[in-house]
Amino acid sequence: MIAMHGTIVNGSFEKSFDLEVGSEIVGVVGANGTGKTSLLRTIAGLHCLSSGELTINNEISDSPAHGIFVKPESRHIGMVFQVHSLFPFLSAIENVAFPLISRGQSRGNAKKRAGEYLEQFGVSNVSSQLAKTLSGGQSQRVAIARALIGNPQAVLLDEPLSAIDEESRSVVRATIRERLLALGVSALIVSHDIEDVRQMCTRIENYTR
Amino acid sequence: MNRVESRTPRFVVLGAALGVLFLGLPILGLMKRVAWSSLWSQLTDAATLEALRISLYASVCATAIALVLGLPLAWVLARMQLKTRRIIRALILLPMVLPPVVGGVALLGAYGKSNGLLGGVLGDFFGIQLTYSLWGVVIAEAFVALPFLVLALEGGLRAIDTKYEESAAVMGAGDYSRFRLVVLPLLRPSLAAGLLLAWARALGEFGATITFAGNIQGRTQTTPLAVYSMLESNPEGAYALSFLLVAVCVGVLIGLRDRWISGGTQ
Repeated sequence: MIAMHGTIVNGSFEKSFDLEVGSEIVGVVGANGTGKTSLLRTIAGLHCLSSGELTINNEISDSPAHGIFVKPESRHIGMVFQVHSLFPFLSAIENVAFPLISRGQSRGNAKKRAGEYLEQFGVSNVSSQLAKTLSGGQSQRVAIARALIGNPQAVLLDEPLSAIDEESRSVVRATIRERLLALGVSALIVSHDIEDVRQMCTRIENYTR
Repeated sequence: MNRVESRTPRFVVLGAALGVLFLGLPILGLMKRVAWSSLWSQLTDAATLEALRISLYASVCATAIALVLGLPLAWVLARMQLKTRRIIRALILLPMVLPPVVGGVALLGAYGKSNGLLGGVLGDFFGIQLTYSLWGVVIAEAFVALPFLVLALEGGLRAIDTKYEESAAVMGAGDYSRFRLVVLPLLRPSLAAGLLLAWARALGEFGATITFAGNIQGRTQTTPLAVYSMLESNPEGAYALSFLLVAVCVGVLIGLRDRWISGGTQ
């Protein structure tokens, strides 16, 4: 459960949000500059609220009035960034295993699970390839697998399918939806493609300036 | 690139050729003076081996000290918004532009046995004397080598896109894990370049070392100091040792390739 009632200020940009997301997949649509990415970054803890309050699973994560700010590493969130930031010096499988390793799992165990996730997203054939050698579509699939591994409390996907080709898009959409429903967590998906949102999400939030 | 841009004027080529000659001639002169037939025996002479051993030990220790101090300094310069950043950077770069002898005098002022700011304390309470000791050589070399490492690391840290650290944080990596698992691997080329440069600078250090640690054979006489001492007594040995230092430096530069020039990002 994510509840955010507050204002984000980022330079000259300022926007107030009243958002509640239960165990559902919410699609966030709207024109450029409506704060969709800022919203996801604030929930992830990469940006602070200027006022108001953010709770994740009924625990306050950000509340300037009470001086509370939970660091991103303690929020247990799975996220795909708009510019997917796979670590170039790690292989695909090591990238997917990263959230498990950084949370204390053994490398062997983490890599075994990462392999399963790569399989689900159809990129097990590139598991040992360095991330910097992957194509845009392959990188994005690996980034999605990395966001969903490790039972996150919430999942945030920022334009997760922008580099996926048209033919395999519907398969990836179905896999994401299936995995998110199986996780049963709050999920927010930002996309410019209304078809992506319709097929993956259970609810749509439309933001205007 | 169009045809005009791709054409290099003749005077530029001539100037570059003169530059190559200016830099290459002393090396050629050195090579000419090396007695190749006795090179091996000169390099394996007991005093030379001792100087080499001291040089190697001191330069490695100095590089290690430069790393321990240089990495946090580079981080502060690259990542922290400090009002005093310019002053800190000027202080760090000072040993690069300071005459090494002046560096040695400054070290005497800080760690000198009788009049140094800290020298007396080190001697009286810990029994440590840096002047005219092997650790004095290490300190002098670290003093001049540190800026090279800091510059390379600062450039490397600035070149790292923060998106990697942000995604690592979201994936549960705390400060230390982010540094170990993300920043260090991304910094590796700059770190290697900085360590090589710092080590090479430490290996070739002369002025600060002779002023602060002296030129005592078997204790503080490093390879450059041995070259200086041998010039009158054993010129053949001096040229042999000089050739060795040139060879090591060329090896370092080949190892660096374009990393230093391109800002440590390759």
